[in-house]
Amino acid sequence: MLEPLLESSIKEKVLLYLHTHGESYPREIARDLGLYVNAVQYHLLKMEKGGVLYSKLKGKVRLFGINPRYPFKRDLEALLEKALTFVTDEERARLYKPRLRPRRTGKPLS
Amino acid sequence: MNLKDVSLSDLAASICDRCRKNGIEVVLSGGACVSIYTQNKYMSSDLDFVLVSSVGRKRIKSAMKTLGFNEDGRHFRHPDTPFLVEFLSPPLSVGEEPVREIREIRRGKMILRLLSPTDCVKDRLAAFYHWNDRQSLDQAILVCRDAEVDLHEVKRWSISEDMKNRFGVFEKAMSGEKAKVSKLRGIKK
Repeated sequence: MLEPLLESSIKEKVLLYLHTHGESYPREIARDLGLYVNAVQYHLLKMEKGGVLYSKLKGKVRLFGINPRYPFKRDLEALLEKALTFVTDEERARLYKPRLRPRRTGKPLS
Repeated sequence: MNLKDVSLSDLAASICDRCRKNGIEVVLSGGACVSIYTQNKYMSSDLDFVLVSSVGRKRIKSAMKTLGFNEDGRHFRHPDTPFLVEFLSPPLSVGEEPVREIREIRRGKMILRLLSPTDCVKDRLAAFYHWNDRQSLDQAILVCRDAEVDLHEVKRWSISEDMKNRFGVFEKAMSGEKAKVSKLRGIKK
């Protein structure tokens, strides 16, 4: 959907992923989306440099997310939300609908 | 260039001036503005310049080279000074709004362009609002204490950022600060 605009399908997938997951790290994004970690890392760093994303260290892991201080954040999120409606139900359920609510330790996932 | 004992504001003015001479318009933002407006009550070692328009890295690198700065990843360092210089991508904004007023401070023959005290407070509050960074809240209060800040404008901006409740925290901290100052004045008397 946004590939002509963003000039990269990887960038689009990464943005959709961060929009729906909140924060994540390169290896997890690459694993979940079935992409090469180097490619994901490249786009994350490029977008961080441009102010679109932020990153922070949590333990030994560098987490990335959409920068709440990016002046076009609301517009970008509106665009991503619209793009999500064009993703197939199967793909949306598989890649962009994570369980974000907490689950107590020891309670099995249903 | 010898930068051994150069102050933050003089160094910032030198960089701003050198950039301008090389056709690169920059505005100082972040913690360095807090240092300047609070006469170093908060001391930043980062000089974050926002590019007014996109400029190739090579041009920035060659402008910084003339001041003796070397590229170190995304930053620039000088062997004689602990200050770390970074150039951030445009646009120059605080939260969702573009910065409209740029303050100019003259240092000798050089002019330093930086955020106004009001935008500096918004910039710090943005970090408090979005990252819950209490150090930034303290810095915003320091600037309000030492410089002329339009608090009505800060409130309007906070509301437009959907941060009315968080502004309340800042207001409360400010009123505590005012009480502390008057108490101190009372003791002096």
